Amino acid sequence: MRDSDRKRYLAKIVDDYVRRRISRRQFLTTSAQLGLGAAALGTGMSRPFGGLFTPANADEMLQPSQEVLDWVADVSTPFRGTTLKLATESTPPSNAINSQLKPYFEEASGMTVEIEVLPLEQVLQKLTLDIASQLGTYDLYYIDQSWAAFTSRDVFDPREQLADKPDLAMPDWRVEDFLPALVDGIARYEDRLVGVPYDIPIFIMMYRKDIWEEMGFEAPTELEQYYQQAKAITDAMGPEMYGATGQMKSGHYSLECDWTAWLWGHGGSIFNSDGKFSGNDERGLEAMEYWRRLYQTMPPGVTGWTWDGQGQSIAQGVAASMMSWGEFFPYFDDPNATKVSGLMEAARCPAPKNPLRTVEDTGFGEIPGVGHQGGSSLAVSQNSKNPDAAWIFMQWATCHDTQVLITALGGGTGPTRTAVYDDPRILANRRVGPGTTRHLNVVRDTIAMDMGSEPDLPEWAELANDTIPVRLGKYFAGDYGSAKEAMDDIAQAADKIVSG
Amino acid sequence: MTLSSQGIKRILTGDSALPWLAPLLAMLVVFTIYPLIYNIWLSFHEYAPFRRRLEPVGTDNWQALFSDERFWDSLSVTFTYFGVVLIIQVVLGMAIALLLDSEQKGFGVLRALLTLTLVIPPAITGMMFLLIEDPEFGVLTWLLESLGILDGTQPILATGSTALMGVMLADIWQWTPFMVLIFLAGLRSLPPEPYEAAMLDGASSWQTFRRITLPLMGKVIAVAVLIRGIDLFRIFDYMFVMTSGGPGTSTYTLSLYAWQQTFSFIKWGYGATISLVSLILILVIANLFIWVARVRW
Amino acid sequence: MIVESQARRMTRTLAAYMVVALFVFPLYFWATTAFKNAKDIFNTPPTVWVFEPTLRNFEEVFGISLGFFRQQEVLPGGGNFFMAPRLWDSIVVALGSTLLSVIVATLAGYSLSRMDFRFRHLFVGWVLSTRMMPPVAVAIPMFFIYKDIGLLDTYTGIILIHAVMNLPLAVLLLKSFFDDIPRDIDECAMIDGASRWIIFRRIVLPMARGGVAATAVLCFIFSWTEFIFVLTLTQTGLKTVPVVSSSFVTSTGTAWGNMAALGVAATAPAFLFILLVQKQLVRGLTLGSLKE
Repeated sequence: MRDSDRKRYLAKIVDDYVRRRISRRQFLTTSAQLGLGAAALGTGMSRPFGGLFTPANADEMLQPSQEVLDWVADVSTPFRGTTLKLATESTPPSNAINSQLKPYFEEASGMTVEIEVLPLEQVLQKLTLDIASQLGTYDLYYIDQSWAAFTSRDVFDPREQLADKPDLAMPDWRVEDFLPALVDGIARYEDRLVGVPYDIPIFIMMYRKDIWEEMGFEAPTELEQYYQQAKAITDAMGPEMYGATGQMKSGHYSLECDWTAWLWGHGGSIFNSDGKFSGNDERGLEAMEYWRRLYQTMPPGVTGWTWDGQGQSIAQGVAASMMSWGEFFPYFDDPNATKVSGLMEAARCPAPKNPLRTVEDTGFGEIPGVGHQGGSSLAVSQNSKNPDAAWIFMQWATCHDTQVLITALGGGTGPTRTAVYDDPRILANRRVGPGTTRHLNVVRDTIAMDMGSEPDLPEWAELANDTIPVRLGKYFAGDYGSAKEAMDDIAQAADKIVSG
Repeated sequence: MTLSSQGIKRILTGDSALPWLAPLLAMLVVFTIYPLIYNIWLSFHEYAPFRRRLEPVGTDNWQALFSDERFWDSLSVTFTYFGVVLIIQVVLGMAIALLLDSEQKGFGVLRALLTLTLVIPPAITGMMFLLIEDPEFGVLTWLLESLGILDGTQPILATGSTALMGVMLADIWQWTPFMVLIFLAGLRSLPPEPYEAAMLDGASSWQTFRRITLPLMGKVIAVAVLIRGIDLFRIFDYMFVMTSGGPGTSTYTLSLYAWQQTFSFIKWGYGATISLVSLILILVIANLFIWVARVRW
Repeated sequence: MIVESQARRMTRTLAAYMVVALFVFPLYFWATTAFKNAKDIFNTPPTVWVFEPTLRNFEEVFGISLGFFRQQEVLPGGGNFFMAPRLWDSIVVALGSTLLSVIVATLAGYSLSRMDFRFRHLFVGWVLSTRMMPPVAVAIPMFFIYKDIGLLDTYTGIILIHAVMNLPLAVLLLKSFFDDIPRDIDECAMIDGASRWIIFRRIVLPMARGGVAATAVLCFIFSWTEFIFVLTLTQTGLKTVPVVSSSFVTSTGTAWGNMAALGVAATAPAFLFILLVQKQLVRGLTLGSLKE
């Protein structure tokens, strides 16, 4: 059978099974006879860039646990026929749920789940409009960590939901099972939890092992060394190969993400303890100087790229390393889509140049750390007409079993639950190939030791998506005389926005 | 005849224009007059994020315009874009129309191929040019670099001086054929007599164009400028997908700025104010133009 | 027409082909992107002519496997890139709004062409000026109205707003087509005792058939390509192609191949329509400005 035919056939039997046209036993035997086991489940899955991948643990069924589905069916009885709406960025977990896992939930619960997949900026726009006018058009919010503050009053705190509705609580679903660093960094705003961590893209160091070996380098352990290595590669191999790359598109959130990593890595912070912008202090300018130098080792196109162009520059062998979102790693291992399958290696981010500031030195709960996290949480909207039904979906979407399937099917994205990292189904995928999980140990270490989190304040969405990246973009386009001038300008604008 | 068409018949028998225009009036009033009034009202209010409601702010929004540097930046970007693209599209459109105005074999196919650009949604055109102008993988970048026009260090869409041009290119590509269509229509309906006379006089083709074609085509050009001009002034899609206004603020137009204030910052009042300014400007410009060019319907 | 010399003819032909090639090239490039693997989409120097073609992008967008024609079914649950229903949405919206705006605009265009009333000139100017509203300014109030009356995220809502958006141009176009039909015909018929409605239905409308078709195609294309209203006024119920193409922008990169595949698929029907009425379209686009 050709690959596409396998996919076709698989689609049919999965569909039959979900629609109860065939029994579970029949489904399993048919797929086993065809050698379609768990591997095949993955083949129905569409991934960005058109790659299809096959999880390695072919002998084990990547099936939703019947126990979980039974619970869903049990508690959902009063809500059959309900329609739930969620707007989300197109991330690996959302893709896995929307493309593959959703039918199981819908079948068990009798509810309909409509997922609107949008680019990040548009999710923010939809969400703010919904909140501002308190419309309740969405039952669940996908909340990027940078929006936690202004959404906090409009979502349920999962701890309250657990306490208020014991009969709807999923057995063994506890907030404590999520990585504590993520709960703090993504979901906590003041004393409230803005949902639970749902997705964790985080900055890790990804580099070309072959090139590093060729140059006789060790994996970079501190920032200055990383710059030297990047520069040496660009000098030796440019312009065919550049040492580093970036996501530096003017006016785009990605530019702000890159900036914070270098800023924190030089002992700086976005705000000081008085709540004033401090990117223009001595440490901040040191970071800008480092960034300016590193920028010269990158392909000239970086100022036009978001994470898309950045990832492509690695995937197509134009750049040799990137300190960026770890969720790109499984994609790099896909031989159908990239030229670097098996050549990439993941490592923790280089150690900071100066000691990190502590949370006490910064403002608005900012947590300095080189490993910038861009996680998001999933929460039930207070404006929802069906908060209880949405709460059931939320528990299902974030429970252990679903998260394992998301990680295995969704191409090795970082799980937010501690135990998922050690699940045998995840460990089995640690091999070179699409959807690999061989970088997840680094992700886990980074979350535990290097994670940096942006400040939480209601104005942050505006600062991070506009004020800062627009002016940084102007700086790299040469519109400012110096980094100091640019940073002073940001400081002035940011303080004005924060003080209202 | 059915009963309902009997009814229609009775109403429409008279010579009053009202019943004929009623559906149009109803739709336009609901969908344009109401939003207009709402926007005027909104421009004197602002959304208060903490109290979650609209609160009156007097003329604050209007006053804020004067000290808002980004508003003035976007105003000048809008006018630059409007002027440059309009002129290029008219000149290029006329040139191509003259070129294609021939009964030669194959020219029908060429004219049809040209209309292909019109059916691509501008949002997709934007993505397409984003790929074409990509600093590393783009085919245009590669071409310009091999011709030595770009030196490989200046990404088109991320350099302040070229970003607007990069966006304009998408617009020019997409809408010049629209101008060509309009001009071709005009050229096709010109009377043959003046041309015959010019030929007898031995006029050169430039003279013929200058003295005969251009004056005769005046009205057609005016209509084309008007229709395209209105759309150019409200331009949004290309910037939205290609540059998000960047680098810095070099491709922020009024529409994009109003959009951002409204949807990203939830400053509905201020967004409405910017929209109104944009509306007033285009109304004034368009009516001046209609008056000067004596466009009649 | 002026008789051209052989050399001039050659130059003109050559120039014409080159200019059109220049305009078609980006389309060629985009269309081939739809048949490329990511590896070939991102290449330095760019792959233009030679690459290994694949149908995978289309398969994902349409949720079918082209290698297996006998059993065309949709992947379970649809994928994020499964866009066939979105094409359907686009077609419904574009056809619906075209029908509505053509009906309304024909009535209005006929009366503006045939009946004299005070301020007619001003009225036409006002109709045109409704096109000058920035879409952003319309989108916000409409969002709240739609929410209140339940039109948010519905076909009806989008069809209505697209129809309104197209009305000014449609009215002007149709008025100019009606103007081309001599008024004498109306007057003769009226002497014979025919009412306005009969004249319109039986005589003028059939004569302006080509013009109506051209107007319809233009409305179809503007609705087919519209972005802001669909972006603001829809959620999960429907989405048209221009808006949904942005969902190929994911957190792990942009799926250019799939996006191009959708773009190619979405271009075909509109192009077909435009070819059918090209003659009338070209004539009508002068909006009657050549009449004295």
